Order: sequence, then C-alpha cells, then structure tokens
Amino acid sequence: MGNDPHRGSARVKRLDRFMAWLISAGGVLIIAAVLGIMIFITKEALPLFRNAKIKDLPTLAVPASDAVFLDESGKYAATFSLGGGFRCWPLEQQAGLADIDASGQPPLPWKNIFTNGANGRVALQGFDGKAYAAEVQWRQSDQGMEARVEWIGPFATTASDSILAARAIRGGGLGNRHYLKIAALDIGSIRVGEAYPNSPIEWTTWQLPLNVTPTAAKWSGNGSVLFVGTNEGELMAYLPDSGEALRSDFGEPVTALGFALGQNSLLVGGEKGKLAAYQFLLSEGRAELQRFHDFKPIGGGVRGFMESPRDKRFLAWSDSDFAVSHLTSEARLIHASAEITSAAAMSPRGDSIIATGQPTLRWHVQAYHPEVSWGLFWKKIHYEGYSRPEYVWQSGGASDDIEPKLSFVPLLAGTIKGTLYAMIFALPIAILAALYTSQFASPKFRETIKPTVEIMAALPSVVLGFLAGLVLAPLLEQWIIALIAVVPVAVAILLLLMLAWSKVPKSFKDKYGNGREALWLVPVVFLSLAVSAWIAPWIENAFFSGDYRNWLYQGQGIMYNQRNSIVVGFAMGFAVIPIIFSISEDAFTAVPKSLASASMACGASPWQTAWRVILPTASPGVFSAVMVGLGRAIGETMIVLMATGNTPIMDWGPFSGMRTLSANIAVEIPEAPHQGTLYRVLFFTALLLFSLTFILNTAAELIRQSLRKRYESM
Amino acid sequence: MNSFFEWWRRGSVWVWLSGATLALSLLMVAGLILFLAIKGMGFFWPGDIHQIQLADGTIWGQVTNHEEESRYHPARTQVKIANRDVYGQDFRWVDDAEILNRSFPGDALYIEKLDGGPFIGRLVQIEEHGQVLAVGDKALPIAQKRLSGAKAYQAQIKSIEQSEAGALSNRLEKLRLDGRKLELQGKRNPRAAQEIEDKKQDIHKQFEQLQARLEALRNQSRALTVTLETADGNSRIMPLANIVRIVPANSIGLFGKAGVYLSRLWEFVSADPREANTEGGIFPAIFGTVMMVLIMSIVVVPLGVLAALFLREYARDGWVVRTVRISVNNLAGVPSIVFGVFGLGFFVVTVGGGIDNFFFPERFPAPTFKTGGILWASLTLALLTLPVVIVATEEALAAVPRSQREGSLALGATKWQTLWNVVIPGASQGILTGLILAMARGAGEVAPLMLTGVVKLAPSLPLDGSFPFIHLERKFMHLGFHIYDVGFQSPNSEAAKPMVFMTALLLLLIVLVLNIFALRLRRKLRRRTGGSSF
Repeated sequence: MGNDPHRGSARVKRLDRFMAWLISAGGVLIIAAVLGIMIFITKEALPLFRNAKIKDLPTLAVPASDAVFLDESGKYAATFSLGGGFRCWPLEQQAGLADIDASGQPPLPWKNIFTNGANGRVALQGFDGKAYAAEVQWRQSDQGMEARVEWIGPFATTASDSILAARAIRGGGLGNRHYLKIAALDIGSIRVGEAYPNSPIEWTTWQLPLNVTPTAAKWSGNGSVLFVGTNEGELMAYLPDSGEALRSDFGEPVTALGFALGQNSLLVGGEKGKLAAYQFLLSEGRAELQRFHDFKPIGGGVRGFMESPRDKRFLAWSDSDFAVSHLTSEARLIHASAEITSAAAMSPRGDSIIATGQPTLRWHVQAYHPEVSWGLFWKKIHYEGYSRPEYVWQSGGASDDIEPKLSFVPLLAGTIKGTLYAMIFALPIAILAALYTSQFASPKFRETIKPTVEIMAALPSVVLGFLAGLVLAPLLEQWIIALIAVVPVAVAILLLLMLAWSKVPKSFKDKYGNGREALWLVPVVFLSLAVSAWIAPWIENAFFSGDYRNWLYQGQGIMYNQRNSIVVGFAMGFAVIPIIFSISEDAFTAVPKSLASASMACGASPWQTAWRVILPTASPGVFSAVMVGLGRAIGETMIVLMATGNTPIMDWGPFSGMRTLSANIAVEIPEAPHQGTLYRVLFFTALLLFSLTFILNTAAELIRQSLRKRYESM
Repeated sequence: MNSFFEWWRRGSVWVWLSGATLALSLLMVAGLILFLAIKGMGFFWPGDIHQIQLADGTIWGQVTNHEEESRYHPARTQVKIANRDVYGQDFRWVDDAEILNRSFPGDALYIEKLDGGPFIGRLVQIEEHGQVLAVGDKALPIAQKRLSGAKAYQAQIKSIEQSEAGALSNRLEKLRLDGRKLELQGKRNPRAAQEIEDKKQDIHKQFEQLQARLEALRNQSRALTVTLETADGNSRIMPLANIVRIVPANSIGLFGKAGVYLSRLWEFVSADPREANTEGGIFPAIFGTVMMVLIMSIVVVPLGVLAALFLREYARDGWVVRTVRISVNNLAGVPSIVFGVFGLGFFVVTVGGGIDNFFFPERFPAPTFKTGGILWASLTLALLTLPVVIVATEEALAAVPRSQREGSLALGATKWQTLWNVVIPGASQGILTGLILAMARGAGEVAPLMLTGVVKLAPSLPLDGSFPFIHLERKFMHLGFHIYDVGFQSPNSEAAKPMVFMTALLLLLIVLVLNIFALRLRRKLRRRTGGSSF
C-alpha cells in the first residue's frame, strides 16, 4: 500500500480484480479436481469396452494352402500345401524376402496335412507310405524374418491308410523321442496307434457305434484322447488307454474341430454354423466330456478353426462368413463376410488375419482388450478346468494359456464383508458413545473426550493394520472364546454394578456419578476381560471338546484363519468409530435445546429424552455419519492388506479372510504393465470404489445440508 | 429393589451402557498407544544374557518370551540365541522342564555386527596384523577402545564409496547421456565422440585410483581382528570393523545399560538400515517422510487457501458453492488408494511420461519421471489432504470478526487489500492448524505412496550433494511403508519385529504430536470465537 493513494490506485484495483479472478479459479479448480479424477480414471478404464475394428487389406498373390502360420509381427506367412510343400511369404512390400531352408523336406506331393492349432506344428502323410511332423520356427535375419522348418520323421505308416487325425507328440524321457498319434478310419471302426520311426504301428481298434459317420477328428494336446465329430450330430471322445468312449449330443452334423490356446478346450463347429466349446474333465477318476461354452453361430457350415497364439480368441470360418470369438467370455469380437476356402490364421499380436486362397485375403484387426467384456466382471463364468461356472478373481497365470479370471464379485463381496464386520463392531459403540457424550457427559469430561477421539481418528491406518495383523491376530487365535464370552460377562457385571449403584446415596451420585459414568466403567471393562479370560478354557472344554479350532474344522468344516474377518472388523471398526462418533455427536449436540427441555418438562427421564427425542430428531445426521463411515471402511486399504490373507474367496464366515477392491489394487497394480488389460481393469475397480464413496458422501452431505436448514427453522 | 426397577424403567441402565461404549473407545485408544510405547521403547534396553544349562549342552541368550503350559506345548521359554551364522536361526524355544540350571555369566557379550545378525558369546582375544594384543579379560577394554577407530575406517570407506565414487559414476552416466543426446539430435561427429571417450578414460583412471585408496583403507580396517567364542565353543574370527557395538550385558550395570539404550536409540534414528531393513536405523525413512510432507505442504497450502477464500469470501451462496462443498466433501471421502491410482495414471504415466519424452529422450528406455518418485507421491498426497486445509481455513476465515473487515473496507481498502491485510493475518492460526492436520494425515498415509514412488530400500536420498541437489524424481523410503514392508514382507519377520514396533511408535508419535499441536491451536481459536464445525 503506497502512501499516495492516487498513484497506486489503478494498480491496486487491477490487483484486486486479478485476485478475485484467481481465487474464483481456485474454487473452480476444486470442482475440476474431483471431476478430473473421475474423468481421468474413467478415461483409463474405458478402452476396456471398445469394440474391435476390422479393416480390409489389399489381397495377396499367395496361393491357397492347407496350413498357414504368421510370424510375431504378422508380416510374414509360412504355408504348407499338398502340392507346393513349405513356402514362406512376405506380406508387406517393405518386408524383405524371407529365406527358407527347404532341405530335408519330404518328397512332394503329399497326401494329407493335419494341423493342430497355431503352435506351428503339422503332421504330414506322404504318398510314399511315410508320415512326418514339421515345426515352423521364426528367426530374425538381415533381410527380414527367416522361416525354418524342423522336419521330424519319417514315421512308419502306409500310404493306403485313410488317416483321420494325426498329431506329433514330443515324447518325454530319454532321447526326447517324437512320435505320431494316428487315427485311421476303417469301415465301422477307427484304428488308433502310435507311430515311431522304423517300427511298425501297434494298432488298437475302436468299434464305432452303429450308424455313425465320422466327419472330423482331432487328438487332444497330450495325445490321450481322440475327439471325433459325426455326421449324426454327435461328439465322441475315445480314450485308447482305457478303451472308454464318451458321447455328447452336439445338435447338428459336426463339420470342423479345433482347439483354443492351450489345447484344453475343443472347439466344435456344425453344418449350420453352430459353434460350441467342450472340455474333457477328469473328476474323481471319472472322465466327462462337458460342453461349457456356446457361441453365436456363423452363417454357413463351419469349415475350420484357428486359435490366437497369444490368448483365448479363436477364428471360425465358413464358406461365406468368419468370426472371431473369445472362449472365456463367449463374446463375438468380429464378424464379417468373406469366402474362406482354405487355411486361415491369426497373428500372435492378434492384429491381422490371413486367409489363403484365390486370392489370399488379409485383414487388419484393432482389438483393444479382447479378453474383457462386461459379463466377465459380473457373471459366473465357466473357466477351463472348472466343473461349473464360478466367480473367480485370479488375474495372472504362469503362462498365456491360462485364462485371466477377472470377476469383480469376490472382490466386491470381500469389500462388503469387511465393511459389514467393521460396522457391526463400530456402529453401536460409536453412536452410543456419541449420544452419551452429547447428552450425559459433564461438560468438563466432554472437553477431554473430544480430543481423544480426534486423536483416535488420526491414528495412521498402517499402524492399526500392523497391530491387527501381527499382534491382535495371534492373540485372538488364543483368546477368541474369551472374546465371545466377554459380552454376556460384561452385561452381567454391569447389572451387578448398577444394582449396587442404586443403593448408593444420592448425594454421592450427584457428586461423583452423573456425567462421569464412563470413568466408573473403566474397571468394569477390565474386570469383564479378566473374568472371561479366566472362564474361557472352561468353556472351551465344556462346549468345544477342548479345542475350538479342531471343533470348527471337524464339526463344522470351517478352517480358522488367523487373519480373519474378526480381526479386520476390529481394526477397521477402530478406524471408523471416531468418524461416526464425531459426526453423530455434532448432530446430537445441534438438536435445539428446546426440544429436550419440552420432553423433560413432560416428565420424561434423561434417557427417554435422549432415545425418543434427540435420536429421532438427529437421525438424518446419524445416517450421514454412517454413510461417511461406510465410505471410509469401503476404501480402507492398509488395514485389510495387513490384517487379512488377501485371498479372493466368497465366504461370509467370521473365521475366514477376504480380499477387498482396495487391497486388490494395492496388491496387483505394481505388477500390471501400463495400459495393459489388468492395469485398465484395476482402474475400473478404482472407478467403482470412487463411485461407491461418491454416492455415499454426496448423500451424506445433502442430508446434512437439509438437516442444517431444518434446525435453523426450529 | 424397587428403586432398582424404577431406575431400570427410566432407562438409566442405558445411560450406563452407552457410557460403557465410550469407556471402551477411550480405553482402546489409550491402550493402543500405551502398548506401542511399552513394546517399542523396551526393545532397545539391553537384556541380561542367561546361561541356560540343558541336558544336551549350554546355551546363552536373552529370554524374549515365556508361555505357560497349554494343549499344544509344555511350559516353555523363547530364547534369542542370536549367532545366525552358527545356528541358522535367531530364536529357540526351550521347554522349561529341560532346564537344569540358569545363571548370568559376567563375560557374556552381546555383539552387534554390520551383517549376519548379532553374536552372543565371549571375547577370546584381540589381534592386530595377526599379533595378539590381549587375551581374555584384558581384551575387552582394548576392543572397546579401538572400536571407534575401526568404525572410523568403515565410515571413511562408506563416505568415499558414496560421495566420491558416486560422483564419478554420475559423471560417467552424464557423459553417456550427452553422447546419446548428440546422437538423437543428429549432431554426433567423430570429434565430439572422441572428446566424450577421452573424458570417459579420464574418469576410469580416477576410478582406479579411488579403488586403490579404498583397498588400502579396507586392509587397514581389517588389521584389527577379534576372536569370539560361542557358549558351546564355536569360535569365530572377525575384523573389529565389522562390529557395531559390544555390550557386556551382564556386567555393565544400570547406567551402562542406559548408555547402550541411548546409543541404540540414536543409531535407530540416525543410521541407514542394515540386513534387509531388520537392523540398523531408519534415517532414510524419516528423511523421506519429512521431505515428502514438506513438498506436499508447499503445494497444498496455496491451493487450499485459495479454495477456502473462494468459498467464504467470493462466491455467493448458490449452486456453485453447494457443488464446491460437495466436491470438497467428496474429495475428503475418496479412498486413498483411488488417489494412488490417479497419481499413478495421471502424474506418473501421463505427466511423467510427457516430461520424459520431452526433456529426457536420451535416457530412454530408462524412465526418469515416468516412474514413481517423491514429487509424484507428494502431489498425490497434496490432492488427498486438500480438503483438510480447505475446511480448517474456512473455519478460520469465518472466525474473523465482521467488524474488522467492515472497518478495513470503510477506510477505503479494496476487497483484496482487506483480505490480505486483515482477514488472512487474522486467520493465519487457523490456516496453520489446517496445514498441521494435513501434514499429520499425509505422514500417516501409505496406500497411495505404494503406487507413486515409495520403495523398501532407496539407494540414495532425494536430497544430496550432487547437482541439482534436490532430486524430485527419486524414489524414497517412508516410515509407514517401512512398517508394512518389514512387518509383512520381510523373510525374517521375528527378528524384524522390534524394528517394526519402534518404527510404528515413531510414526505414531509424529502424527500424534502434530495432531495435538493442531488441536491446541484450534481450541484456542474456537475459544476466541465459539464456533462449531457442524
């Protein structure tokens, strides 16, 4: 401020206007921050649900083939054809010519080629009465990619065999010997056997049921089961080791069989475009052929399948259509019309599809997060290896061919469970203590209560979690019976004390009692703890045959986990009590004194006034306190992280743990690659948490605002 | 009896019950703090070393626990036998029935080492360059006297390794980056490359000289060795420089123990952690916590005060204010982990990634800012603690009497002049309260930090002597995360427990002191004005 008011006044006014603008901007910034957080998190999560896009690429001069494989980049294709043998093609102009090393290639032409998925392995049958296996390997060279084929064989067979299915198996044990699993069709039967180099095949004959015409067959990944589809609309699984055959009705004539990645799920396609997935389950020694996924049919009879080499997507095509679907979610990602006459493949990155033929077609696919769909998060999903649909969270597996299991339901259940146990503990204590503090405590006592509770609110949750997990959990395991006993014991001791209290002269009560009851009760709490600890072993002997954990496990089938819901309830309740306490205490105190006076004047006792007048009047405030407390419990991370085992199970019992949405984020996000599927899914769960607390807090604030108005008018 | 039923009918019993819930709450708070204080403070007290005679031998150790007979085990005693390198474990349970005899040998020593956990045993002799200086009883005073000298060597080695060698490797890294930068800008030419190569050679030469010096120092530090013997006769020879402290626990008396206690306490707050954070000190964690909270404060105060000024002084009551209030309340209620997710996605990946692409392309693919760091953690926490500052400031602004503003305005001051010269000074105590509460909240939060830059062991502090001195991109250690990590992720959690208790106690103390300070300030403020927060 200058001494001369005129010289600086323009500057002062400008400053004034500028600050007004700046401060308003600051206010708006707060709205922006809240919105910004929400928008940003949503923006990160949204690509999960983006639809895949497909774009035609120029056709290619690659001749039709019987098996085609793409390299990692999708820019090179390796083909096998009966007449042309093994060839390698650059698919884009800037890609250099790929070298091929054709040495060791069996004499052309070949009689038959059998593919068994995108693993780059094929089995061949020559006209020379021999069979071979081949495996494509890609290598980076100076010109571009180099495709090499490892030829394995020859294996003994005969040219006259009409082979239905063949699969090369990398034998374990000494010498890493390869062999071929072969199934050949005879009239009314199928012969199966293992072909080794230089030794004749020992055949086993499987007598087919009457009136059954096999149309397609595949060996399972380890060669232990032969799957056969029939013209009569049946799928059969034959186990050569036991001679057992399983049958399942598919619904229409089977025209194609294939596998999803990992070779655990069999894809079946029918004459009218029906698509389904089967799995072969061994449960309790019993084999079962289970149909576990049905997909939207495609137009025309299914001609072939090819899986993605990286995830559980697969391509199915007919004469007129093709579709990419996802095994786990059953979602159809792409559906387009095209005439695919021979082999087709998806690139490992999933960004291109090729179908060889006249001409060879190629598509660019933009799939963002193909493994994710809305239903995957919320519905029961039938995963591979599971006997029924379930809610499971298991984000990562040892390899690509394990399905990521991303159900939110167990996490949500864990969140609700943790919150519930915390509330059971916190609600009565917090509200009753607040009522007492506002209505009965002497003003001086109140002065010490409020700061203590505020300190309680300030305790870092990591300290609470640590104490819960490392101190309380082992203690509780030892003293849980005492804990259960403490409630009735405390009530009994309380009643005794009050019986005594009613005999105490009034002058003493007035001097030391009223408004300080809580202090008198401190010894009661200690006494009840001591008494229940003392009687606990006796109870355990009398009711739980001496060992409650054993009793729980043997009698009830419940495992006692040391870090369980009770521990979490305690620790999280501890964190929530001060929040609920302060807001409801404020609400009780803010009730106009005239109401209480009127009630007392009519002869009501202090408790009757508190319970029937103060509590109902302040109930919206208490409700909003509960909402805020709920919000805190839902989002609490460190306590649950440290006080539970963090297993995502669906179990509501008090003796098991849980995994909450918040702890799940803390556990998994450090391992999730940026912008990957898991990363975005975790952002989505964060958004879920945000929305939950947003709703709770907004409701609480609105209630409080209206309550404030009501009190003003009273 | 009649009066009792009357009493019951009128609900006094419920008054008592509600009183009981309050008593329970208060007891829980007091009990928790007391428990931590007792547990935490006790750990540094040097316990007596018991000699326990068993049927199959003698063990020396500190008694750490005792359990009465139960279904699962007979009455038993937990003994910290230490000597992990000899026995493979730190603790041992001994059945009371097996104990033949207990005593307290005067020559028993509790020796804290730099690595491999503590040693319990006796000192046999001390040697210098292989020559025996003293044997038996006479060795201990000499060892104690020479200990600080030996440690000085160690400190010198460490300081050379950290500052001089660190500076050299920083220069080397900078040269590499300079070269890469030239390459990226297309300015790489043979002369520049040669220059860089020359400088590199020069640094390598200096490195070799440094190595030679270090080697000489190491040899000197290894000159003094002590021969130690465990209770069952295993002997160990080790350099004196490897020893942190020798505590003749049974013979130093109360004052000696107090001295050891204080020295351990000092080590705890001032030294770096050792042995995967289970021993030594937590200085980097204290430092990281304080620095993070300070950076957070620098950001959060102006923002919070601006927003509060807007709410109280500028905005007219209407939907804007209502929305802002709801936003503030929501911000206060958003789970801290969500802030962490936001911090990771926005600050680390988006902003940090942008900075890296723009300013540090030569460091690619090693991230500079596109990874958790103290700046991102502080900004995330600033967002988290913003509502605390806003609410406290608002309350303080409301407490400034209307007459003062009107007086200022009547004298011709503009609105901003009134605010700046009258209202804000009047509200400064309240703003300070808000800041302290925010600091307390920020110091105790862990979940968002786990996503935005906290680590279990940071190689260097975010503030040191190498240019540009404040390294905002560095990862840091934090007291709260230290508790989580050592308590729950540590392979040797039983041995680490004392550290966790002490760290928890320290964090609790910091948070409590800040809070109590803020509460007193606020109470003073409220007494002046008689306001309520509802």
